[in-house]
Amino acid sequence: MKIEDFLREVTAIPGVTGNEGAAADYIADAFRPYADEVRVTPLNCVVARQKGEGPKVLICAHLDEIGMMVSRIEEDGSLRLQSVGGVDPRVLPGMRVRVYAREGMLLGVVGATPPHLLKEADRKNNYNWDTLFVDLGMDAEQVRQKVRLGDTVCFEARYVEMKNDRVATKTADDRACVAIMLEAARRLRQMAHQADLYFVATCQEEIGSYGALISGFALEPDMGVAFDVCHAETPGAPRNSTSKITSLVTSKGPFLNSFLVKKLEETAKENGIELQFAVDPRYTSTDADELSVTRAGVPTVLLSLPIKYMHTNVETLDMHALKEGGRLLAHYLAAIQGSWEDELWN
Amino acid sequence: MELKTLCELNGASGQEGAVRKAVLEAARPLCDDVHIDRMGNVIAFKKGRTGNRHILFSAHMDEVGFIILDATDDGLLIFRPVGGIDPRVTVSKYVLAGEKKLKGVIGALAIHLQTAEDRKRVLGYDNLYIDIGAKTKEEALADCPPGSYAYFDSAYQPFGDGCVVSKALDDRVGCYNLLRLLEGEYDADITCAFVTQEEVGLRGATGAAFAAQADTVIVLEGTTAGDMGAVEKARRVCEPGLGVVVSFMDNASIANRSLYQELLALAERKAVPCQIKRGSTGGNDAGAYQRSKAGVRTCVLSVPCRYIHGPSSVVKLSDVEAQYALAKAYAESAK
Amino acid sequence: MILDTLKTLLSAYGPTGQETQVAQVIKQLLAGHADGIRTDVMGNLIVEKKGQPGGKTIMLSAHMDHIGLVVTDIEETGYLRVTNVGGVSVDAMRCRHVVFGNGVHGVAVCQPTKGETAGMQHLFVDIGARDREEALSMVQLGDACVFAPDIVPMGRYRLAAPAMDDRCACALLTELLMQATAPRNTVVGVFSVQEEVGLRGAAVAAYQVAPDLGVGIDVTAWGDTPEVKLPAVKLGEGAAIKFMDRSMVATPLVRDALIAAAERAKAPYQREILPFGGTDGAAIQHSRGGVPAGTLSIPCRYVHSACEVIDLRDMDSALAILKEFVNGTY
Repeated sequence: MKIEDFLREVTAIPGVTGNEGAAADYIADAFRPYADEVRVTPLNCVVARQKGEGPKVLICAHLDEIGMMVSRIEEDGSLRLQSVGGVDPRVLPGMRVRVYAREGMLLGVVGATPPHLLKEADRKNNYNWDTLFVDLGMDAEQVRQKVRLGDTVCFEARYVEMKNDRVATKTADDRACVAIMLEAARRLRQMAHQADLYFVATCQEEIGSYGALISGFALEPDMGVAFDVCHAETPGAPRNSTSKITSLVTSKGPFLNSFLVKKLEETAKENGIELQFAVDPRYTSTDADELSVTRAGVPTVLLSLPIKYMHTNVETLDMHALKEGGRLLAHYLAAIQGSWEDELWN
Repeated sequence: MELKTLCELNGASGQEGAVRKAVLEAARPLCDDVHIDRMGNVIAFKKGRTGNRHILFSAHMDEVGFIILDATDDGLLIFRPVGGIDPRVTVSKYVLAGEKKLKGVIGALAIHLQTAEDRKRVLGYDNLYIDIGAKTKEEALADCPPGSYAYFDSAYQPFGDGCVVSKALDDRVGCYNLLRLLEGEYDADITCAFVTQEEVGLRGATGAAFAAQADTVIVLEGTTAGDMGAVEKARRVCEPGLGVVVSFMDNASIANRSLYQELLALAERKAVPCQIKRGSTGGNDAGAYQRSKAGVRTCVLSVPCRYIHGPSSVVKLSDVEAQYALAKAYAESAK
Repeated sequence: MILDTLKTLLSAYGPTGQETQVAQVIKQLLAGHADGIRTDVMGNLIVEKKGQPGGKTIMLSAHMDHIGLVVTDIEETGYLRVTNVGGVSVDAMRCRHVVFGNGVHGVAVCQPTKGETAGMQHLFVDIGARDREEALSMVQLGDACVFAPDIVPMGRYRLAAPAMDDRCACALLTELLMQATAPRNTVVGVFSVQEEVGLRGAAVAAYQVAPDLGVGIDVTAWGDTPEVKLPAVKLGEGAAIKFMDRSMVATPLVRDALIAAAERAKAPYQREILPFGGTDGAAIQHSRGGVPAGTLSIPCRYVHSACEVIDLRDMDSALAILKEFVNGTY
């Protein structure tokens, strides 16, 4: 499968944190041609293994997405929402959302009280969860029959191909990184590797990296490679928190093993792959934070794909950076040797 | 090993290599097994005469420091703290930056050039820079690339009445006392864990706790003493000179009640100067140990430390002795 | 009778970190009703009721601890300085009757704040001591007090009391363990400690139990008093089955099994989507390699005050749901 096709299809599937079943099943199928074993765990982590003699390496990117849940049905049949993960309600007005109800998906429009009915003071405030609602275009009676509290609601999903290999889509965070893992797995099928590789698409990152935590415990890896998105440069964004959109980024900082980072840098150089650096003085706010302290500890590196407009339905990435990321990951995983373990703390 | 030697080593969270090396060498002749674990912790094990009990004593090797993010076009280093350092104590301090330990200073806009509004504002890390004398961005980053560390350049000095001033007393006092504990002989099995990354979230101890086999964990720490400068009595949590601090609870853990009471009784019996921490602020590695796996009994013994997390923290040596004495008494009492 | 059990448990002293007295009471109530009872190193009471061959292991967790105040210092004048253990607000504490584990009584009072926002530093507890010395003969640093028991029936079905969070769930779990004879699945009832400071006891218990499924039992907030709309949960309309809160999204498998159990039992239930809060269910779900887990809630008004109100019909509904749930096929 072409990586573009995978990304287009996988980003369209609903997989709001805690209810990731459909996304997990799709991803498991995509890994099957390249893996020796694939399974979906009870909490919806996908584990795809490429056998090797060791060391055991866990590579992870999360498959869950931010979204919403129906928290109240008003008398008039409009739905109030609660955020699952960090949704900025300001992106919602006018969006066509998908409500996953008992008998299938319903299209809804996010509405708000029109400005001319608002008091002057309220007009200056942003829309928030109390003022926004979903209009399903049917009467209250019908709404109550079809929709129940707790039904999940997803962003509008379109896959927009733009100039210069740029793509805007929902859930580039973090399925674009799942795509990088898939691309690496495809390449590694034709490469020799000593490491025993576990590609894990993790659940529940957006509310606290629980998928990485439980996968790290279950698989007991010797080393970890965590993948997530980071911020690409946009106007007004602080320079120390952003990177160029055109290549992957690896982070340095106390949470990340400096020997493994150095090896990554060498791999990139040897293979002529562009790699940027960032510094995380403390939390990386990715799966790396939890993965690195599972069981007795897992020396971990973090790789990030820069995207613009994070946590919206138009997360924008550079397809070239994504493909090069797959190449870098494949070479890095192929380079891992058992002898690295002796050098981790030198 | 001297407390001075330990304090003057540089080892911020994630870069504990120098301390690890020193501790490893000092511990090796004193114990039956010593190894580096998966979090970079040094785990020293000493077999007891009976081995009926297994006590783990823990102290953290890391200290607070700085990490370089980038440089300005005119060669000033942009940096952030690793661990909690109040930016107000960093202005006009001496530092050593990068692997070559280049001398530098932390500078800010001269007061004459600040507007009346500026002067009221707290200088934050967005307005502070490390100056190593570099002229260009390239020159600065060649010596101190992003991700390299910097430290307060701060000597260990005895002063006053039995006090010392130094950086990193939190928690090299604990490391110092762990090494002294390893010199003794006990009935119980003893593990001394010198752990990493306490200052960035109890991370080293989280790993050590998972591998640990002990029935009881005692954490040796340095803790905030806010007794000087006419602080109301009710807000002083502990005071230097009054002995080792025993905590009933902090933000990270609630002490095992019976262990807490046992330690207080032991201090009284052995006439070890001891005070109860009068507050529940802060948090330390006990939180990580207590709740790992099936749980373990924990309590914290601290040395009161003034001006903690700065270049000039102060402890009273008699309190360092008291921490050692109570820890040792507990180790000896475990049959 | 569940009401008697509830009243007994509401009267027990058990601030976060010092839950032994509550554990003792439950142990006595359950003597002879379980296949195993033990206390772990943190103080969790772990009660096992064996299931039938082929059944799974289900962990049900209700916390014993109750928010309170811990003595941090004693003034020369005999007043106690305190700090909170768990989510205590100064407002809920003003001029309240409190009690210590050794039976010492006192009142919590807020001193004038001189324009500052009231905080724990403004609270003190008056235990009637003349001076520091007398106070020290009554309490020690590190001792904790809680709202004194005060059980008030209101109307036909409702009950107000402190410590309803989470003794009403302890009462449910105790009754379940007493009443469930030969359940299909093995039930491990955990009466957990230190929930109010971050689900600490349940995390350690879940590691030991290593269950196949887990359910936290706890109170939840309400949306049926003036100017309060969320969560869309009302007292008296049945136990609430949690979809999510700040600590977790309930595993669909467990959530739907609870709904199915309610429907089988013909017990009224509500769906709960809570924008804050957390329960032991989260600690179970995130344990080891991940455990499918959810939470069953009792709607409770004015949580973390001295007058937490529940409706006994919701308790009946919860007990019926749990009985069905532990007999399900998973």
